[in-house]
Amino acid sequence: MTAATRPVTVIRPSSGWFDLDLGAVWRSRELLFYLAWREVKIRYKQAALGVAWAVLQPLFTALIFTLIFGRFARFPSDGLPYAVFTLAAVLPWTYFAEALRRASTGLVTDSELVRKVYFPRLIIPVASVASPIVDFLFGMLILVGLMFWYGITPGWTILLLPFWLLITLCLALAIGLWVGPINVRYRDVMHTLPFVTQVWMFATPIVYPLSIIPEKWQALYSLNPMVGIIEGFRWSLLGTGRPNMFSIGVSFTVIAIALVGGIVYFRKAERSFADVI
Amino acid sequence: MSKDIAISARGLGKHYLLGDAGGRNDSFRDLLVSGAKALVGARRKNAFKDFWALRDASFDIRKGENVGIVGMNGAGKSTLLKILSRITEPATGTARIDGRVGALLEVGTGFHPELTGRENVFLYGSILGMRKEEVTRKFDAIVAFSGIENFIDTPVKRYSSGMYVRLAFSVAAHLEPDILLLDEVLAVGDLAFQRKCIEHAKELQKRDATILFVSHNMFSIKTMCDRVIYLRKGQVIYDGDVPGGIELYEQDCRGAALSWTETRPEEWPIYITDCQMIDDSGKPSSIIDYGARPVLRLKFAVRSPVEDPNFIVAFVRSDGVAACNYSSELDGVKLGTVQKDGTLELQLPPMKLVSEMYSIEVLVREKGFQRILSGQSAGIFHVRHPLYNTHFGVFHEDAAWRLREAELAT
Repeated sequence: MTAATRPVTVIRPSSGWFDLDLGAVWRSRELLFYLAWREVKIRYKQAALGVAWAVLQPLFTALIFTLIFGRFARFPSDGLPYAVFTLAAVLPWTYFAEALRRASTGLVTDSELVRKVYFPRLIIPVASVASPIVDFLFGMLILVGLMFWYGITPGWTILLLPFWLLITLCLALAIGLWVGPINVRYRDVMHTLPFVTQVWMFATPIVYPLSIIPEKWQALYSLNPMVGIIEGFRWSLLGTGRPNMFSIGVSFTVIAIALVGGIVYFRKAERSFADVI
Repeated sequence: MSKDIAISARGLGKHYLLGDAGGRNDSFRDLLVSGAKALVGARRKNAFKDFWALRDASFDIRKGENVGIVGMNGAGKSTLLKILSRITEPATGTARIDGRVGALLEVGTGFHPELTGRENVFLYGSILGMRKEEVTRKFDAIVAFSGIENFIDTPVKRYSSGMYVRLAFSVAAHLEPDILLLDEVLAVGDLAFQRKCIEHAKELQKRDATILFVSHNMFSIKTMCDRVIYLRKGQVIYDGDVPGGIELYEQDCRGAALSWTETRPEEWPIYITDCQMIDDSGKPSSIIDYGARPVLRLKFAVRSPVEDPNFIVAFVRSDGVAACNYSSELDGVKLGTVQKDGTLELQLPPMKLVSEMYSIEVLVREKGFQRILSGQSAGIFHVRHPLYNTHFGVFHEDAAWRLREAELAT
């Protein structure tokens, strides 16, 4: 290496709240890719059914929902076959829950790395929310098959699918940035999270349509940022209803505030990870 | 910063809060409990102590210089390397580093057992800070150096621990850093691996790399370094030539409590105050020739009478292997009730341990093998022999050989 290309590093205590150095994350993008790739790779390596699990998990969930809520409880489904109606919501929800779980626990799972190697810690939650996209895409294949079976053709709105996925990713990341550092100190988070996500799921229009909620409660209900997102997915895939601008607005506001705040908070908390993890 | 300076540190410091639960609450419940205690004022004053693991460390290291970081356990050596490798952030001070840093604090961190050797090479290379293009270019060399070509597509979990380390080390060795941070203390446990680290560091030395080397092995420090920075209780107390640094280390080794003890030697009923190896010429020396019969002279202090003390002396090799052990009880020595300070001399049998560094650990137990009264590191010594090193085992003893040609012929 010639003198001209030698990097010069200055190490000092970081000062203030906005010493973010996001450029370091960009420079570590290859490691980010490898960490996400590792997650995808090892998830199915030792399972006999391999990648099939990515499909089976949401499929069984949708099947059970169809039986219980569609058949027995006769929940309305906006005039669609209940199985399609619920699967179109179960897939993005499964992605969200998994992304959130990994983003929140990733630092602890990779505590060895955090203690022994330097890299911008921010890439751990980012890689965590990126890797379950693969599962989501496999699941989509099943949904497409099911839609084909019922003769449902998506409209141009399906082109907006990546947009909804990105919004979901941002929301999971935004929350993970807050929860992850707390989990480093208090592992209680790990035990609380599954319970919280389950309650959250039933507070989101997954087994029932948004239209079931009485008019006067809709505004309150839509404060849940996942409401607008799930309805957005349904609209994109199945063409039901119209995107609820209010609840999408809520989602955007929550994401914007939590994500920016989360990055600042995470960067501040990051300084002590290696010491307390 | 002048052009030939690789690392320039000014006032580096790092402190931790030490308290009831090591300064932190491991679960939310602990937080609630300690919060409640704080409310009712049940927490003792000074329950949280500010502990400086490293304090006001300043030094300049020129390019191509090889510096040994020496000190007792807990002196702040690893903290210093962790700050310089950016794993943890300093609380005070700055450091300016000119060049690519490679940190060998522990080899193989980030290897995933489910992935194949090939996959791990790329993952680990990336973790160490190599570009994908760089790993691709060096891939064949990395695999060849590791010597496990045939298993490169096998999941790493099926590797023996030796193969695992070889592959991981091979990746690390191809990092080609300008500045190498090497922590032999953390890598301890595998002498073969330590040796590889040193060979690698020597290779880098030839290429004019700057090396910061943490080690408890004064042999390695002597052969590798041209300067020693000595840390004591987080502070740089010496920065100069190698012999001066080693002398300080040998001084500090005398009488320090072993890591598992909870109190200070001065609080024990009996403890060692001085320890010397006396060589065959009758002079104190920390270098003992293989085959010599040195005398170990232990001075001890008694605070309260001890019944039938059993003095146990262990020689522990620099990688933590307990190489041999002497016990006054097993040698049939009855010391009765010891009430006053005194000196104990141990005439050692001919030294047959191989050439290495050994630390002397002294334990005193009550009434034979009952309660342990004290445990101290009493000093270090080196065994000198031109040939017999750890390749030859823990010790070497001459043996007799007989060849019976007639029987072989039939």
